[in-house]
Amino acid sequence: MSGIPHDHYEPNSNGEKWLHRRLPIVGLLYDTLMIPTPKNLNWMWIWGIVLTFCLALQIITGIVLVMHYTPHVDMAFASVEHIMRNVNGGYMIRYLHMNGASLFFIAVYAHIFRGLYYGSYKAPREITWIIGMLIYLLMMATGFMGYVLPWGQMSFWGATVITGLFGAIPFIGEGLQTFLLGGPAVDNATLNRFFSLHYLLPFVIAGLVILHIWAFHTTGNNNPTGVEVRRTTKEDAKKDTLPFWPYFVIKDLFALAVILTVFFAVVGFMPNYLGHPDNYIEANALATPAHIVPEWYFLPFYAILRAFTSEVWVVQIASFVTGGIIDAKFFGVLAMFGAIAVMALVPWLDTSSVRSGRYRPMFKWWFALLVIDFFALMWLGAMPAEEPYATFSLIAAAYWFAYFLVILPLLGVIEKPLAQPETIEADFDAHYAPKAGGTKTLVNPAK
Amino acid sequence: MMKTNLLSAVVTLGLALPVTAVLAQDTATEEELLTTPAETPEAEAETAPAEEPAVEAAPAEAEAEAASDEEAAEAPVAEDEAPAEEVTTEDAPAEDATEEATAEEPAAEEDAAEENAADDGQSTAEENAEAEAIVEGDAEGQASTDEPEVGVMEEEDHGAAEDDHAAGDEGDDSHAAPHIENIDFSFDGPFGAYDVNQLQRGLQIYTEVCAACHGLEYVALRTLSDETGPNMPEEQVIEYAKGYDVYDAELDDTRPATPVDHFPGSNLENAPDLSLMAKKRAAFHGPYGLGINQFVKGIGGPEYITALLTGYTGEEKEQAGTVLYENTVFPGGWIAMGPPLSDELVEFADGHENDVQSMAEDVSAFLMWTAEPKLGARKQAGFTGVVLLGLLSVLLYLTNKKLWAPVKNRRKGD
Repeated sequence: MSGIPHDHYEPNSNGEKWLHRRLPIVGLLYDTLMIPTPKNLNWMWIWGIVLTFCLALQIITGIVLVMHYTPHVDMAFASVEHIMRNVNGGYMIRYLHMNGASLFFIAVYAHIFRGLYYGSYKAPREITWIIGMLIYLLMMATGFMGYVLPWGQMSFWGATVITGLFGAIPFIGEGLQTFLLGGPAVDNATLNRFFSLHYLLPFVIAGLVILHIWAFHTTGNNNPTGVEVRRTTKEDAKKDTLPFWPYFVIKDLFALAVILTVFFAVVGFMPNYLGHPDNYIEANALATPAHIVPEWYFLPFYAILRAFTSEVWVVQIASFVTGGIIDAKFFGVLAMFGAIAVMALVPWLDTSSVRSGRYRPMFKWWFALLVIDFFALMWLGAMPAEEPYATFSLIAAAYWFAYFLVILPLLGVIEKPLAQPETIEADFDAHYAPKAGGTKTLVNPAK
Repeated sequence: MMKTNLLSAVVTLGLALPVTAVLAQDTATEEELLTTPAETPEAEAETAPAEEPAVEAAPAEAEAEAASDEEAAEAPVAEDEAPAEEVTTEDAPAEDATEEATAEEPAAEEDAAEENAADDGQSTAEENAEAEAIVEGDAEGQASTDEPEVGVMEEEDHGAAEDDHAAGDEGDDSHAAPHIENIDFSFDGPFGAYDVNQLQRGLQIYTEVCAACHGLEYVALRTLSDETGPNMPEEQVIEYAKGYDVYDAELDDTRPATPVDHFPGSNLENAPDLSLMAKKRAAFHGPYGLGINQFVKGIGGPEYITALLTGYTGEEKEQAGTVLYENTVFPGGWIAMGPPLSDELVEFADGHENDVQSMAEDVSAFLMWTAEPKLGARKQAGFTGVVLLGLLSVLLYLTNKKLWAPVKNRRKGD
C-alpha cells in the first residue's frame, strides 16, 4: 500500500495461501497495521486514534440510544428523559454520547492544528487534507443535527438560527430553507429528517475516514520535521521508520487511555458542564431563550458569522457592488463558510517549500497568533453581540482570513527557513541520543 | 466556598492540575463579580440603576422605529434596525413569533431587552410590545414554557422591573444577575451522594407545599424507593402514591395512583413542572464567559432554587389583575408565585429544623434528585472508569516505555 519500501505479507500455511489467492484481506490488514511510520512522531500524532475511537464510541452509543429514542416533537424530549431514568445504564450511554461529541471536536481541532503547524497539508498530502476537511464538515453537520434531537430549547432555537443561515442565500434561500426544514418552521418534519441524517452521516464519515487513512498510507505520514522518509532502499527506510504495530499502536493507546481517564471524569462527575441548562427545557416555539448559544465547538465560526455587520465597510462595499444581493446577513454566512473554505484550500495558499513550522521562524509566531485567535473567536462567539465584543470579533475574524489569504502566501516568499535535518533518523537521534549511562550524553550523534 | 468538589475531582484524576492557580483565580473572580455593577442587583441599585440601558436604548429605539417604518409588519426587520454595535447578520428579534422568526439572533434579542428596559413598559410601537413578549419569554419562559399566557403575564413584570434589573443584561451573560451563594450540598463533588433524610424532608415539603400547584411529570412514584434516592419502603410508597389521582386511559377516568404511575403534572397551568428544574437553571456564570465558576462550584441549579425560594423581599404589587411578588433572584425581579415557604410551615417527624433556609435547601436537594435520579450510579460509574482507565494508562505507559527503550537509547551505528 505504502510507497515506502517495506516487507509485505507472505502467506505461510496452505490455508493462508488459499485465502490470499482468493481474497488478500489478511495482507491488506497486515500492510495497514505494519505500515512504516516515521519514528520521530511526537505526541500531537495521537489524535487520529482518539478520533477513530470517538467515531466508534458515537456510533455504538448512538445505536443504543436510537433503540429508546422517539423522533417526534411530542415525545422526543420525554423519550430522552426515559433514557435518563428508566433505561438500564441509559444515563451513562447518553452522557457518553453527549460528551463524546465534545471529545470528538477537541480531538479534531487538535488534529487540524497539528496539520496546520507541521504542514501536513502540503504536497503530496493535499487529498488527505481535503478529505479531512470533508470529514470535519460532516462532523459539524452531524453534531448540529444531533443537538436538535433532544428537542430542548437550545435544540429548537439552534436549529432555527442555523437553518436560517440558508435562508440568507439570495433568491433560492427561502425555498432552500423550507426544503431543509420540511416546512415553514422547525417542526416534526425537521426533527425526523435530522434524526435520519444524524444516523446516516456517521457512516459516511466512517467511509471517508477509510479514504483518509488510505490516502496518507499511500503518501506516508508526515512527521515533525516535515522531511520525507528515505525511499531509496528498504534499509534506508527502516532507519527512518518503525512499524505502526507495535510501536505506535501502544503509544497511541497510552495517550488514548490518559485522555479517556479525563473524559470519564467529566462524564461521571460533571456531565452537563459543557451543555446548556436551557436544553433541559422542552422546545417551545413561543418562548425564545435569552441567549441562543451554539455548542462550544461551533463558537469560533459563529463568532465569524456575527462579526460582519452592516456597519463593516467590507460588507457595505460587497452590498454596493452586488446591488444589495449580498447583504450583511448573507455576507456573514459567506464569511462563516469561507473561514472553513480557506482552511480547506491551505495546501495551495501556503507558498513555502518548507513543511514543518519547526523550521519556519516567522511562521511560528503567526501560527501561534492563529491559535490564540481561534480561542478568542471561541470566547467571543459565546459573548453577547455588543461592544466591545463586536469589534474584537471583527478583528479576530479578519486575522483568521488574513492568516490564510495574506500571511501564508507572503511568508513563503519573504521568510528564510532554518536548516532542516537531512533525515528523520538524524532528527530522531538528535532527540534520543544515548541517555544516562551512555558516555556522551549531550553530544548530537548526527553531527 | 465549595472547593472540595474540585479538589477531590482533581485528586481522583491524579492530575497534577494547578489547583492553587485555579483556586486563586476563583477568589479573584469572585471579587470581580462583586465589583462589577452588572453582576449584583444591590451594587446595581446603588449605582444609578437604569442609566446604562437608557443610553444604549436610545439609538436602539430610534433605529427600531426607522426600521419598522421601512419594512413594516411584513418580514422580520433586517439588520439595519440594530444599534451600532449590534451584530446584524440575523433578523431582528421580535418581529413575529411564528414562521419568520426562524433566524432569531441572540444578540438581537438582547438589544430588544435593552430597548424594553428603557421603555419601562410604556412602549408605543407594536414591535416593542412584541419584543417584550419574546424577551419575557426568555426570562421566565424557560420556567413555564408551555403556555403563551404565562409569557404574557410575565412580560408585564419583566417590563415593569426593567429599570431595576435590565442592567444585569450587560453582564457577561444575559442570565447573569443576582449573586447566588454556593451551597455545600451532600451530592456535590465526585463522591457526593444524596442525603436520604434530606430527600425525604424535601419530598414532604414538595408534597405539602409545592404539589398544590406544581407537578413532577417525568418522575415515576416507584423511584421513591430507590436506594440512592429517598429510599422509602415499598409499602410506604404504595401508601404515598394513593394520595395522588391520575388519569387512566383504560378507565377513561381518574384513579388513585400506584407506584408504577408518575407524579401528576402541574395543577396550575402557569406553574412549571419541576421534574428537571434543578438542571434547567444555572446559578453561576462567568467570569467573562469562561465557565470557571461553574467548573469550581457546579452549574448551580439547586442553588438557584434555594436562592429563589429565599429571595423574596416582601414587596408585592398588582398588575393586570395578578399579584406579583418581588424576588431578587427571579429574572425581571417580579414573580407570580407567592413566597411558598415560611418558617415552621412544615413539621418534620424527626423535628429537623424547619426555617425557610433549611426547607429551601431540602426541597432543592429533592428537586436535584428528581432531575438527576441516577446521580449516584453515574458518579460510581465515573469513579470506576477513572480508576480502571488510570490503571490502564499506567500499564500502557510502562509498556510503551519498555517498547521504545531500545529504539530511543540505541546509539547511531551501534
